[in-house]
Amino acid sequence: MLELILETLIKAAIIVGLPLGSIPIILVVERRGAGFMQKRLGPNRVGPFGLMQPLADVFKFLFKEEVEPSHVRPFFYTIAPLIALVVAVMPLAVIPVAAPFDFNGKTIFPEVFHTDLGIFFAFAVSALGSYGILVAGWASNNKFSMLGALRACAQMVSYELSLTTAIVAMIFLYGSNDIHSIVAEQTGYWFGFLPKWGFFVQPVAAVLFLVGIFAESNRLPFDLAEGESELVAGYHIEYSSIKFAIFFMAEYVHMLVLSGLFIILFFGGYSLLPGMELLVGDSALMLTIMQVLSFIIKISLMVWFFVWVRWTLPRFRYDQLMMLGWERLLPLGIFNLIITVLVVHFRNH
Amino acid sequence: MSIYYYLSAFLFCLGLLGTIYKKDLISILLCLELMLGGVALLFVLFSRATGFLDAQLQVFFIMIISACEVAIGLSMIISLYRKKNTVYTDELKIISE
Amino acid sequence: MMFVDVLLTVLTVAFALLTVFSKKTVISAFALLMTLVCIGGIYYQLGSVFLSAIQVLVNAGAVAILFVFVMMLIDLEKYPNNTERSKIKLIITVLTSLVSLGVLALIINNNIDTITVVNLSDSSMKALFDRLFTQYYIPFELATVLLLAAVVAVVVIANNNKQHPGKE
Repeated sequence: MLELILETLIKAAIIVGLPLGSIPIILVVERRGAGFMQKRLGPNRVGPFGLMQPLADVFKFLFKEEVEPSHVRPFFYTIAPLIALVVAVMPLAVIPVAAPFDFNGKTIFPEVFHTDLGIFFAFAVSALGSYGILVAGWASNNKFSMLGALRACAQMVSYELSLTTAIVAMIFLYGSNDIHSIVAEQTGYWFGFLPKWGFFVQPVAAVLFLVGIFAESNRLPFDLAEGESELVAGYHIEYSSIKFAIFFMAEYVHMLVLSGLFIILFFGGYSLLPGMELLVGDSALMLTIMQVLSFIIKISLMVWFFVWVRWTLPRFRYDQLMMLGWERLLPLGIFNLIITVLVVHFRNH
Repeated sequence: MSIYYYLSAFLFCLGLLGTIYKKDLISILLCLELMLGGVALLFVLFSRATGFLDAQLQVFFIMIISACEVAIGLSMIISLYRKKNTVYTDELKIISE
Repeated sequence: MMFVDVLLTVLTVAFALLTVFSKKTVISAFALLMTLVCIGGIYYQLGSVFLSAIQVLVNAGAVAILFVFVMMLIDLEKYPNNTERSKIKLIITVLTSLVSLGVLALIINNNIDTITVVNLSDSSMKALFDRLFTQYYIPFELATVLLLAAVVAVVVIANNNKQHPGKE
């Protein structure tokens, strides 16, 4: 029993600490990347190449005065950032960074909570993601916040549908909800060089999912919840110092979780990148390390993609967003699902 | 395990109390949802007691029906609010205009 | 009796009480959300993992969010209703629910010894859906029709706004 608790605690610490610890790095990438794309320098004063900039930001957030406006609803105002962060972190519990490995003669699953409903669980929990924003907007007792929160919530609920059609299509294809068997299906090569990734089988679902990720994590081009030109700052107008920073962290963690799921479904999860087999050899330890490395590389590329899109596409208008979600992506998703089901049926019989 | 049987009875009766007692339509719908939760819990308990999966499928159907009920109920409340500017049951006495 | 069972029961009871007796409707909506999540936890504890995931996804993720949404749109705190309830009505209400609780508790109490706990041989998603798509396929199809009808009904009801004719 003690051993189990210890194992779970260690895994939980790693799995929560790693994404939270990587947020400063993402911040640097984001701000320097923005500079790179807009032909300017970006923050480069703190430390070598501006690498210490997020540290300075953290100190700024920690030591700034915390202003709590008098018109807010105090209890909900305080717990809203916590709800956002906790709900964002929870799906990490089922995301594995490597295949199960043997340690001290015992098989250890790298994820905290091993269940054969992995994908399903992750989406069930991330469906709660809109509560943090909704509570924040309502508790701030400010019309702009409320509008931002309602927009964010409607947007997340709408895009969850097309996201779900993409996931269901992939689950049909792999015939399993278990993340490890989904990854196992994607290990190997076609014709000796093309990885068996879901992306090459289901490009439509991949695009649907990708658009859904941007809408779910409220990133540009879908950051209508914040829309500076219309809503000042959306749901976090009234938040300052560390509470604001927690919202920021929740947004980044949500982004990481969704990109992790995207990679698991469409880019082979922790399966090795092409060419990495040569490095592994026979060593089991080396295999695990390389799997973790592959996963991290894939996630980093996804994060770069997020930054790239953010500074390339302008923000959508709200009615355009809703039309895209309900009239374009959802029918496309359902059509794709029907085709997938038919193909899987005729493949199996 | 047996504590859950009492829990489901309690949830049902609490929902009943709220449904009769509450004044605004939204809270009444909320309490109906609570009653449905109690009943669904009882179905899962039955599945556990008999070993048949059929009872769990009933929960599945209960969820579908409660989702429909909430969606239609809330949209009706909103259109009522637009017309009459109130959602309190004792102010909504006239059936037709 | 396990510690987790007691904890879940206490939490569910507390949140359910908050749902019904809270003066602010938004708080009762959040309490309902927590009640539904706790019931999902009980499903997990009873061994039906799939139902608990569905419970969180559908009831907590979609149904409760609709409630919160509507409550934020219709701000009831601004239009309080101060009509007094007649005492006799209140007494009857409490009596009704207490009597029904008593009857249910009595029934449960009389039968609790005969109830067995069977270990479900296979309550996985596959076993569940094997049954759903063979024995229960007509109710399932009807449920999908019901969902479609609900969607259409909601769109029609919400669009029925004569003062502000919306663009088609």
